[in-house]
Parts: sequence; structure tokens; C-alpha cells
Amino acid sequence: MTSPSITSTRSLLRTLAPVAVVLTVMGIALMSSGYVVTVIGFAAIYGIFCTGLNFFMGYTGQASFGQNAFACLGGYGSAILCGGLYWDPLPAFFVSMAFSGIVAAIIGYPTLKLRGHYLAMATFALGLITYEISIEWVSLTQGYMGYSGIPPLGVGKFELVSEKHQLIALTVILLVGIWISTRLRDSRFGRALRAIAGSEPAAQALGVNVARYKLLAFVIAALYASAAGSLFAHFIGFISPEVFGGAMVVQSFTMLYLGGIGTTWGPAIGALIVSMLPEFLRGLKEMQDIAYAIILVSILIFAPRGVFALIGGWFRPKAKEGDAP
Amino acid sequence: MITLTQLIQSLVTGVGVGLIYGLVGIGFCVIYNASGIVNFAQGVFVMLGGMICHAILSKFGMPMLLAALLSIPIVAISGILIEVLVVRPMWNRGAALFAIILATLATQIMIERITILTLGDQPRSFPEFTLGGPLKIGDIAIGYQYFWIMGCGALMVGLLWLFFTRTTMGRALRACSQNRESAALLGIPVSRMLMVSFALSAALGAVAGILVTPTQFTAYNVGTPFGVNGFIAAIIGGFGNAAGALAGGILLGILQALAIVIFGAGFKNVAALTVLLLVLFIFPSGIFAGLKGKSH
Repeated sequence: MTSPSITSTRSLLRTLAPVAVVLTVMGIALMSSGYVVTVIGFAAIYGIFCTGLNFFMGYTGQASFGQNAFACLGGYGSAILCGGLYWDPLPAFFVSMAFSGIVAAIIGYPTLKLRGHYLAMATFALGLITYEISIEWVSLTQGYMGYSGIPPLGVGKFELVSEKHQLIALTVILLVGIWISTRLRDSRFGRALRAIAGSEPAAQALGVNVARYKLLAFVIAALYASAAGSLFAHFIGFISPEVFGGAMVVQSFTMLYLGGIGTTWGPAIGALIVSMLPEFLRGLKEMQDIAYAIILVSILIFAPRGVFALIGGWFRPKAKEGDAP
Repeated sequence: MITLTQLIQSLVTGVGVGLIYGLVGIGFCVIYNASGIVNFAQGVFVMLGGMICHAILSKFGMPMLLAALLSIPIVAISGILIEVLVVRPMWNRGAALFAIILATLATQIMIERITILTLGDQPRSFPEFTLGGPLKIGDIAIGYQYFWIMGCGALMVGLLWLFFTRTTMGRALRACSQNRESAALLGIPVSRMLMVSFALSAALGAVAGILVTPTQFTAYNVGTPFGVNGFIAAIIGGFGNAAGALAGGILLGILQALAIVIFGAGFKNVAALTVLLLVLFIFPSGIFAGLKGKSH
């Protein structure tokens, strides 16, 4: 047994270290040029998306290849409400989120009864359907050409015009998102999700309503995805169907697996690393998607629990003294 | 309102396109039966078939038949490469099902990008196998290519049937699909069968891609719709049942052709995907299995 004070110091360190990393990166970004701000802003948006996906895929151990559908709903929701109907960004943000949540609940109810490759294909189909609709429903979405003229984030008359101000807002939202994820992970709810990941029949036997908890995790993931989509629309001021296409699925999975699936900070860290990757692979611009795919496949083969879990495994003997089984 | 001519015409084209979906669907089944793996990169073989055939035609000016016969083995090799480089390492490590699906999806995006870099991103097409046409019966006009699709499609199905019933390798594949452990105990090299199944289903996809390209166009991104429609065909037929996949493909092709007449071409993929979701929700083991299920 370890004394509670040591455990709490360690867990405090474990919580503070990633916060420090994220804040340092944001701080560096704030002192750099506009381009770096954009890249880090993307990372924060993807971090929010992946943190949500982690609820469904990490904690609950399910698979969804179609969360981009809800990012698409959020993005177009904000774009149309703010760009077309001149709403304030904030109500548009929450209305899109509520809409995505309701859609996720309605679609998720029959979808989550499926298993294995049926579940994979059905969720993949959701992403494809929204993609096709966002191309074909030209009168609403402006089709292939994309939706431009979306105002930046803001409340009432106070607009975050500068990219750096927006980055601060994104960082705050990301940290809040991760905080919720951390708090929920060890709550009764989070433990139920993780029980489902461990074994569905066992969770059922312990009195966990498996179907309801799966659906809840799916809806939470959709809410995060919608938020990420809305933020993307405000941050860039332009969206097109391609933004929420199949490449987004592979990219977000790369982040999730690189950072460590099922951990609280992994998704955000993964998003940060993958977003900065192209900067280190300069000159390989058009090879970017190929690089993501190769990285993802290698991780899936060699380190299926995430790179940090692999590195963490090297230090495990040291940690054994402190960690009582 | 739909006229009778329109109806018959869309039925004919629907059957043609449906045969293509059926071939892709059989490709899904071949791999799934041998290994239990669903290869989400199946559509990529259709794309590669059309693109490579076009590249050979335009660069070397070969006759159509030769170009087709050359591109099929090239695509089959790409299937083997996917199996050896991506699927086998995961298979050997006992990776989770959805991790393998994800890896094949990533492979699809990788191959699409490589295709853009090497062959370009412009849509292209090549002429129909027999020039002239369309054949006119009253008001109904049918392009000659549809006869090629139907003829070659039927030929492929016949050859597949012979392969699975008359050859040792085909029988070994079927043994794997029934029970992999007992197949291994009988001395069947199960992991080599996995490679054979990837080569075979890649070749099927390539044939589909070469046949269908003259009726529309091909580009780096046509893989996903064909893959998804092939998957739907396989689902309708009850996954893993090759004959069912073929029937499912034809049914889907006809449904889509009707949807185009009624709703316009833009929403044909949405219609097909909705059919997929409905079939998954209502008949998770396939429409034909749902009808047959009573007899069990």
C-alpha cells in the first residue's frame, strides 16, 4: 500500500505535467508568427474532437468511423446560422451542438446494436452520408465550393478578431473539454464505460445498462465533434465538404493512437504532435496524408495501445514499487 | 412521371452496374470467408483496375484486351502487398477487428494519394470495348459496353464457381471459410490462403474497374463508392455468401438506377447508404438469409 499523500502527489504531477505541456505550447504559439498560431489552433480543435472520440473508443472500447459526420453537422450548423442567418456565434455553437446530440441519439440507438464490422460500416456510412449531403444540397451548403464568410468567435459585440485571441479561447475550451473527460473517467459513469470496454456480459451482469451507456458515450463524442466542427468554422472562416471527409477519420485516429487511446491527455497530446508533424516534414506537403497513413498503420501493428503506453512500458519496473496491485 | 422506356432502360443499366457491385461484393466475401477480415480498401482495387488499364492504354497504345490482361495481375499484386505489409502483421499479433479495419481504411487513403502523385488527379475514361452503338430497340437505347459487362460478369461468376468447386486451391479456401482450425489440421496452409484470397479479390475488383470505366469515368477517388456499394451488396446477400452478394449487387444496382430516375443522379450514393443502414437495422444477416431463415 502506498500512503495517500504520495499517491495524490503523483497523481497531481500526472495531471499538471500535461497541462504544463499544453500551456507551454500555446504560450510559444502566442509569441510566434501567424502561421504557427494557425497550426496550433488546428491542433486544439482536433484535440477537442479526439477527446470526445476517446469517450466512445477509448473508455467504452467501441469503434466509430463516422464521428466526422457530427463535426460536419457542427461546422455547417455554425456556418449557416452565423454566416447565413447572422446569429451570434455562441447560440449557434450550442444549437448546433444540441442538434448533433439529438441526431447522434436517434441514429445511435439502432446503430449501436450492431457489432464488429457491421458497426464499423454503419458508422462509416454516417460520415459518407453527411459528406454526400454537404456536397449535393447546394442551396443549403453551397456544395463543393464550400461556405465562406463565417464570422470569428465572439460574444455579442465583442469579437475575437485576432487569431491569437481565438487561440486563447480554443485552449480554454480544450482544457475544459479535457477536464470534463478527466472528471468523468473516474466517476460512476466513467467506470461503467470502462467496464463495458473490459467485457460487455460482465458489465451487464454487474447491472450496467450497456446499451444506454454506449449510447451516452456516443452522444458525448458527437457533442465534442460538433463543438470541434463549429470552432473550425469560426477559426478558419471557411468550410467545405472535404474538411470533414474521410481523411479526417484517418487523421483523428492517428492522433488518438499516437497519444494513447483510453487515456485522458493522450488525445490532445496526439493531436498536438500530429498537427506539428507536417512542419517537420516540410517539402513533403503532398505526402502528408501518406505519412499519416503509414504512421497510423505502423502504430496499429507495433504499438496498438499508443506510443506513450509503449514508452511507459519501458519504465514499468520502476513504477512497480509504488503501485500496489 | 417515369415512362416505360425510362424504366426498362434504367433496369438494364441497373443490372449492368449491379453486376459490378456484385463482383466487388464477392471480393469482400472471398477475403471475409478466408480470414474473418473485412477489407475496407476493397474499392481501391476497382479504382486501380480502371486507372492502370487507362495508363497502359494511353502510354503504350496496346490493344484493349492486352491492357486489361496486363492490369489485372498488377492489381492482384497490389492486393498481395496489402496482405503482406498491412494485414498479416496485424493478423499474426492478434490485433482487434476494428484495428484491422482501420488499417485497411488508412491503406485506401495511402493508395489514393499515391495514385494522385503518380497518375494525376484528373478524371479519365477509355473507349467502349466495341465502338458504335448504342443498340436501339424501339425507344430503348443500350450501350454496347453493358453487354460486355454482363457477358464478362457472367463469365467471371462461372470461372469463380469452377475455381471454388473444381480446383484444390478453391476447395482449400472453402475449407478455411468453414473452419480455419480444422483446415489447418488437415494440412491447408491457412495463412497462404489469406494471401490467395487477397490476390483473388483484388483481381475481381480490377475486372470490375476495367469493365465499368467506359460507361462512366475513373479517378483516384472512385474507390470509396464502389467499395461501399460492394459492401452493401455483400450485406444484402448475407455476408460471406458469394451468390447472395451477386444477387444483392444486382438488386442494389436496380434500386440505384430507379433512385436516379426519381431523385436525380446526385443523391444516388445517399440512397444506397440509406439502403445499407436499413438493411443493417432490419435484416442484419442479409435479406436472403432473412427469407431463408424460417426453414432452419
